[in-house]
Amino acid sequence: MANQNATHGESHVAHHFVDSEQQLDSSKLGMWLFLVTEVLFFGGLFVAYIVYRAWNPELFYMSAKELSTTLGAINTVVLIGSSLTIALAVRAAQLNQRALLSRYLIVTILLACVFLVIKYFEYTSKFAVGILPGEFYTYEGIDHPGAPIFFSIYYMMTGLHGLHVIIGIGLMVYLVVKARAGTYTAAYYTPVEVTALYWHLVDLIWIFLFPLLYLIE
Amino acid sequence: MSGHHIISLKYLLGAATALVVLTIITVGASFIEIPRPFDLIVALSLAFGKATVVAAIFMGLIWDKKINTMALLFSLLFFIIMIGITLLDTLYRDVPFWIYS
Repeated sequence: MANQNATHGESHVAHHFVDSEQQLDSSKLGMWLFLVTEVLFFGGLFVAYIVYRAWNPELFYMSAKELSTTLGAINTVVLIGSSLTIALAVRAAQLNQRALLSRYLIVTILLACVFLVIKYFEYTSKFAVGILPGEFYTYEGIDHPGAPIFFSIYYMMTGLHGLHVIIGIGLMVYLVVKARAGTYTAAYYTPVEVTALYWHLVDLIWIFLFPLLYLIE
Repeated sequence: MSGHHIISLKYLLGAATALVVLTIITVGASFIEIPRPFDLIVALSLAFGKATVVAAIFMGLIWDKKINTMALLFSLLFFIIMIGITLLDTLYRDVPFWIYS
């Protein structure tokens, strides 16, 4: 049963929701439906990976050796850390700890930047030896007629993932600005919650990319 | 309960620790000579284990309304269908020559 008086006291509750709780649950379900489309969006690339790997098993073993397991592992730990800090940011919002909320968000942004910097060094070291996607591939270190295939898939998958990291940074910068202005309280922190869900999905996708691209030996 | 569940620090730090440990095991397992296809099976099992920890604890699915878990599971179901139908074609034909051009 809706408590009309309590509802009217909370300005953030839109008129078509019974209460704050229902509004947050609806937002979360909406975000989950978006994440479903994200899973299928990346899913298409995973299908390409599976089809080409089934056709060229040797090529994938040979190509993955070119990637640095150390850098990939460091990036995995960096993303796990960023998932922890954004989960702590949500917790801080729920507990009304506003200063802590923006601090955790900033740490998450910094970890996301560390991820991108490492990715930048990985990409440029590959570009330097002619490992480029598709027809631009000129590297001769892999003795296989389909040598460019693995790296075309690698650049598409990590590139799309990196784009998601950049978008995530943009969203979190927006959250910091709003958090500093005092927009988020224990009663209303929906944007923090749904951005955290998005960020965890970015982490989830990397959890699969890491063993599939770096660890086949 | 759903909506405003506050996840305890114990769970969050425990999940992060478990994920780092599983990452170390994943990297360690890649250095051991495991015969194919079991190397892939081990790596993917560990990845699914990590994914479950992230979804259940960090994303709060344990404490959420079950419909959110359903949404995630349905996305996986349709992903598997996408893989299955594609492989039914690509596994039963010659590798097209143009991929080597």
